[in-house]
Amino acid sequence: MAFDELHKEYEARRGKALSMGGAAKLERRRNAGILNARERIAYLLDAGSFIESGLLATSLYPGDRDKTPADGKITGYGRIDGREAAVVVNDFTVKGSSSAATNMKKIAHMQRTSVERGIPMVYLGESSGARIPDNMGAIGMGTLLAGNPSQYARLRECPWTSAILGMSYGSATWYGCMADFNVMRKGAVMAVSSERLVSMAIGEKVDAQELGGWRLHSEVTGLIDMAVDSDEEAIDALKAFLSYMPSHNAEAPPQKAVPRGSDDGSRAVASLVPKSRTKVYDIRKVVRAIIDKDSYFELKPRFGKTAATVLARVDGRVAGIIANNPLYKAGAMDAMACDKIISFMVLCDSYNIPLIFLVDNPGFVIGLEAERQKAPGKIINFMNALQLVTVPKLTVMLRKNYGQAYINMAGGRNAAEVAAWYTAEVSFMDPAFAVNVVHGSEGQRLEESDPERFAREFEAFQKNNSVWDLAATYAVQQVIAPQETRAWLIRMLEVHRNRRTGDIGQHRLHNWPTSY
Amino acid sequence: MAREEIESEVTGTVWKIETKVGDKVMEGDVLMIIESMKMEIPVLATEAGTIAEFTTEETEPVSEGQVVVILET
Repeated sequence: MAFDELHKEYEARRGKALSMGGAAKLERRRNAGILNARERIAYLLDAGSFIESGLLATSLYPGDRDKTPADGKITGYGRIDGREAAVVVNDFTVKGSSSAATNMKKIAHMQRTSVERGIPMVYLGESSGARIPDNMGAIGMGTLLAGNPSQYARLRECPWTSAILGMSYGSATWYGCMADFNVMRKGAVMAVSSERLVSMAIGEKVDAQELGGWRLHSEVTGLIDMAVDSDEEAIDALKAFLSYMPSHNAEAPPQKAVPRGSDDGSRAVASLVPKSRTKVYDIRKVVRAIIDKDSYFELKPRFGKTAATVLARVDGRVAGIIANNPLYKAGAMDAMACDKIISFMVLCDSYNIPLIFLVDNPGFVIGLEAERQKAPGKIINFMNALQLVTVPKLTVMLRKNYGQAYINMAGGRNAAEVAAWYTAEVSFMDPAFAVNVVHGSEGQRLEESDPERFAREFEAFQKNNSVWDLAATYAVQQVIAPQETRAWLIRMLEVHRNRRTGDIGQHRLHNWPTSY
Repeated sequence: MAREEIESEVTGTVWKIETKVGDKVMEGDVLMIIESMKMEIPVLATEAGTIAEFTTEETEPVSEGQVVVILET
């Protein structure tokens, strides 16, 4: 054969690259029950669809060339549920998947292809940061870093998804923060620097989970959208997220057939909401009852819990649901809930997903702590984003709707169409407080000092809050029964389609900061 | 066994304690109810576990972030 020698070398080089960081390191991972980079790719992509870009890439350092298969970051293209995607999968067994000249070129190429060809990006992250000694000293810095002026310009042309699957510092952390969806495996860490470096720098022992574990990021920072138990669950979540997304922002999200039985839940919606106005309930049950069966995908469930943000399908069409959750703080929105809602509006508006607001809250959280958390700025950020949204917005008022929150939760002209359940009550503030503001005196609660008068005034204030008065002003266009909610949403999503643009919005939030 | 401290998310008054020490609870179960903002706000179990201790009692005022229940998980 003419090319025997060359073909042998070709096979040998490919085999070496595919062996990653060597048998011993791969064995250790297997024993720990953690997938290696190539197993993760196999789990992520449709069978046989992966085509690698840069298998034979290595470090530029002469001494490292034999020790850096794929230069520690595996890149290429493959199909997810039949749709093309560009992937960056960090191989921690090769120099901790540290960032270096060659693999930075590989990532940049994936990102360019994603934008130019309109396919999503997937990052499976686990990285130790910039490679040492490559990046050390002024020569290293000058040669390697800050050479790409668009690396961090996140314009949301295509969905980015990230899974944090191990120790993530530097690169994997940055891409996780920039992604539209960031899922974390419990036990993984996402931080600026490792606990070892932090401990050295500040001379104090720091725990890795405290520094960047799933609890911190799902409950305090909101930098991850979901926490799961295994690599497989993380990749499943990432694929599920992409099933709601178009491949790029000039495309409408994919429609699916409506599962049988999707109308069953909506008849019982009224039974999920208590009759007493002082009792709470879990709005997520209402959301599940009005959407297509098994289409519920909640983002940041442990962060800013006074509101739930859920991707779902309604009559086969993708919709984003923003719902106050009375179960937590009576549904009063705090700074974290504002941040969560804003980032969800940015996501949906960027990828042509209509928004549905389900309203039941006593207003924004007020008080010293709220002001310290920049409540006024957050409320106005929320309004800035809301009024820049160009996807269709629909609002359903369930129960309480007070004050500025009435405007923020897409009240009045802030939605294309507003419906109110006949249980809705709308006013500037809860009547109990209003009675005290108008008829009470400082430091005294009228319900205690003069209960009879309180009851009388309360009734008068509450009477004026009724949904019939709101309907009379045409501030709501329909008054509906709870069990009519799903049918109303289906009909209105159809009426308010953006037909002139083929359901494509203007994406005026596309360069909104990825966290703030 | 880890001790999980469960905080009240609101400032208010303890209205009703619906569980007792030694009860086994699941994540999301209602442990007690705080009256705040004219509403009955539940304190929920953040994880499955056994109630080890209450650090408040009915009719006592509580503030936001105050530990009210200790759960053994």
